[in-house]
Amino acid sequence: MSTRNPPVLLLDGDASYPPEILGHKGHGIDMMRRNGLPVPPAFCITAEVGARYLAEPAATIDEIWDDVLDGVRRLEAATSRTFGQGPHPLLVSVRSGAAVSMPGMMDTVLDLGVNDAVEEALAAEGTVEFAHDTRRRFAASPAGRDAPADPYLQLRSAIEAVFASWGSPRAAAYRAHHGLDDRGATAAVVQAMVFGNINTNSGAGVVFSRNPMTGANEEFGEWLPGGQGDDVVSGTVDVKPITALRDQQPAVYDELIAAARSLERLASDVQEIEFTVQDGTLWLLQTRPAKRSAQAAVRLALQLHHDGLIDDAETLRRVRPAHVEALLQPSLQPENRLAANLLAKGLPAGPGVVTGQAYTEVDAAIDAADRGEDVILVRNHTSPDDIHGMLVARGVVTETGGATSHAAVVSRELGRVAVVGCGRGVAELLAGKLVTVDGNEGEVRGGRLQLTAWSEDSTPELRELADIARRVSPLRGHASGNYPVLRSHSDAAVRAAMTSGQTDVVSDSPLLAMLAAMRVSEGT
Amino acid sequence: MSELAVLHAVRLKGRVSLADLAATLGEDADDVAGVVDRLTESGLLIDGKALRVSAEGRVRLDALLAAERKHIDTAALAAAYAEFRAVNADFKALVTDWQLKDGQPNTHDETAYDAAILARLDDVHQRVAPIVSAAAAQVPRLSRYFAKLQAALDNVHRGDAAWLSRPIIDSYHTVWFELHEELIVAADLTRESEAKSGDAQ
Repeated sequence: MSTRNPPVLLLDGDASYPPEILGHKGHGIDMMRRNGLPVPPAFCITAEVGARYLAEPAATIDEIWDDVLDGVRRLEAATSRTFGQGPHPLLVSVRSGAAVSMPGMMDTVLDLGVNDAVEEALAAEGTVEFAHDTRRRFAASPAGRDAPADPYLQLRSAIEAVFASWGSPRAAAYRAHHGLDDRGATAAVVQAMVFGNINTNSGAGVVFSRNPMTGANEEFGEWLPGGQGDDVVSGTVDVKPITALRDQQPAVYDELIAAARSLERLASDVQEIEFTVQDGTLWLLQTRPAKRSAQAAVRLALQLHHDGLIDDAETLRRVRPAHVEALLQPSLQPENRLAANLLAKGLPAGPGVVTGQAYTEVDAAIDAADRGEDVILVRNHTSPDDIHGMLVARGVVTETGGATSHAAVVSRELGRVAVVGCGRGVAELLAGKLVTVDGNEGEVRGGRLQLTAWSEDSTPELRELADIARRVSPLRGHASGNYPVLRSHSDAAVRAAMTSGQTDVVSDSPLLAMLAAMRVSEGT
Repeated sequence: MSELAVLHAVRLKGRVSLADLAATLGEDADDVAGVVDRLTESGLLIDGKALRVSAEGRVRLDALLAAERKHIDTAALAAAYAEFRAVNADFKALVTDWQLKDGQPNTHDETAYDAAILARLDDVHQRVAPIVSAAAAQVPRLSRYFAKLQAALDNVHRGDAAWLSRPIIDSYHTVWFELHEELIVAADLTRESEAKSGDAQ
């Protein structure tokens, strides 16, 4: 412990520490700064401090507090603003550095550092509405409830909340379930706030360097004029497609897309980038590898391979066997999903995809089911006697209610596809229509959407992937030919084939066999 | 047993067999059959594949419930319902945790996880007991709900977890959902208005 790293590191592009210390968010910010991208100044309190905090909270925070204050001074110098007072007050965000957000974690606290005097100063700089909205946002956040008036105490308690939440039982259970490393802890990133809510020339959004659902090589994302980042991810506000930013502020849009392309090249992977536009100026807040559908995982790996960003072996590493197995099962293909008319959006409460005629009354639903129709029951709310409608329905949609509502509980118990909390008026809107309920995405779309599966034989993407695999896999899989037959693509069967000296086999799923062979030979 | 009790039980079940109706009322099947025959003859119940309430029956039921409410101390009942709301949120969360683990269907292969949830059910049961008592002091027939909750809980404790949340049978969730409906009606609220305020979800 004598050779401790500094507890607080400025993320100015020179913080040459790995993500294990800076946290993934901190590492991403430092990387963006290093590459000259517009990122608000930030510092991080390292994951090492986060780990010490879990053992000795009070002593740890006392010990590093002077370093945190130094960090705040650096943000003040970089922004020409002052934390905790006017005339030009500095507000900050405090974020967890964890690579994935997990239940029970305090991920983000925005707009920290506002009290009565600061609100007045913000109003003088901008507008009364902006100052009020900004303060309201902080007060509504988990760290803002009953927050002290002293901005430094606010900062201290937010940092403590971020560190402590790593150790919460829910977060620990999530890591255990998903096989995530439970050692260590999270870093905390403190960053100067920029404001998407300051005027009409501002807003917040998320942009993907390519479409993460279909895998198409096109920009994809969401834009919320006048909003802040938490609005965009919360799903409670209607956001616009990213093309709305292009229409509104073409120069900013071009700069954003250029940054997305550049980050994709630097990371050799498709990026998901959170950004804010403050009065016509673009700011990037964080970047990370985009979450993607199985379809997109395959298509994006092939595109990056074409673009020369990744080699054969890395291309195959980007596609997990689970992706291929999911693609071989019938499912709603993202391009079909996105092409259909979106009628309602709610919370996914029972998984699966089903199509049927929408009925809003239980008796009518039962009669229709008796006639042999596929029925979707759509209710404003559910009462106990709706159970008979739910029994005959293939899918259930409700206007009100959350993921723990009675309707959600009963739907799951019956194994019904369910989307709940779609909002007022949805029953009237859907009544009598043929609809497809997507209980995985929480959507209701118009018409009958077919479920289709990919196949190793006939889907071009999988054939191309198999061609690449035959160049690098220690065991080459073939659909036919004069080779020994591999009965299963399990790791054990593949290992046995390789141990017995085989290099070419015939298999029902040559691609899965080769992915297994590569995994086995790499020892992962 | 009263006409009200039978009509309301059929209404809450939606469609129900005579045997299940007698079981949920906790009454002798022959006695229930007598009342059901009278209600069917007067057109208030429909006896098809299962019993259900007719449109006239609903009108009659609403009138009977309104008459019942005249004898209720509404403040006491509103207080009981307010307490129920808090326990209700905890109960539905625990059922959801029973069904889903980290967003995936609970495969019930982790004994400690399941045991922790069942311990929460015991806590919920203790908290709801005085609430049902308070409500039953206003509407005596509601005391039956605690007996049914207790019976479902006993079955869960005996190791038959279906009695936690399976629909149709008088599982803990089925009884709870009906009790919730009874309290909304007794407090002279509607589920629609409650749903709007987020409490009857």
